[in-house]
Amino acid sequence: MVMFLMAVCLSMFGLAVTAMAFGAATRDERPLEAAQPALKPVLSVPLSPSRFFTDLPIAPALPMAAAARPHVPIEVLLLQIDRHVRLEQAAAESFLDYPTVASLHSRTASPLVH
Amino acid sequence: MSNVEPELLKTLTPAEAEEVLALGTRVHLDTGAELFSLGAPADHLYLVDRGRITLTLPMQVQGREQDVQVEERLPGQTVGWSGLIPPYRFTLKATALLQTEVIALSRSALLEHFARNPYVGYAITRNLAAVIGQRLQVFQAMWLREMQRTVERLSS
Repeated sequence: MVMFLMAVCLSMFGLAVTAMAFGAATRDERPLEAAQPALKPVLSVPLSPSRFFTDLPIAPALPMAAAARPHVPIEVLLLQIDRHVRLEQAAAESFLDYPTVASLHSRTASPLVH
Repeated sequence: MSNVEPELLKTLTPAEAEEVLALGTRVHLDTGAELFSLGAPADHLYLVDRGRITLTLPMQVQGREQDVQVEERLPGQTVGWSGLIPPYRFTLKATALLQTEVIALSRSALLEHFARNPYVGYAITRNLAAVIGQRLQVFQAMWLREMQRTVERLSS
């Protein structure tokens, strides 16, 4: 019986301590704020988007074309340059044969232009 | 010499053309062999007799220096007119695209021959001017086409 009463007392004491701690943690701060001078509003600082596990800098706004441009293998690019030069040369020679504004600015099928 | 009449020897009689060709040395180039490099001293002029020569300039492509073809020379055509025009430095690199033979004419031999045969010198100089003028006009037109596209891009 004595042990039972002791257990009840200890439980009540523990409950009281817990209640006090809860009350202290959730105490209303408004009376303190009223006593303090008006504080400056906290400026909102824009946060950078979270970038976990990366050291990459934030990419600047790229034009869509550049961002979406696929990586072209150098061999393909060199072939395209070669074809472009040949087409442009042929167009220029054609202009020299029959010099007109239309032939000077004729459209090209070069993949580097389109 | 192959059947194609060399553009440099136009208007010369067959005998005059033969005399000029006799001044030259036949040079054989394997596929990929370099005839001359950019910036090298130009002491010779070349007539393509057989095969094909590509004229290239270096260009940065994806961070690497690559030779980009700007012109191709076929049998009968002239390569390396810098050999006769000051400051006698090649402004392009010339490489054989396949098994090629050229006739190399040295500047000193040509100038001596021209001094002895002024009409031949005059005719060859005119033909050379046509080669240079043709290249200038082609590149002028190519440059203008490129400029036109740049303007269109900027204004769109």
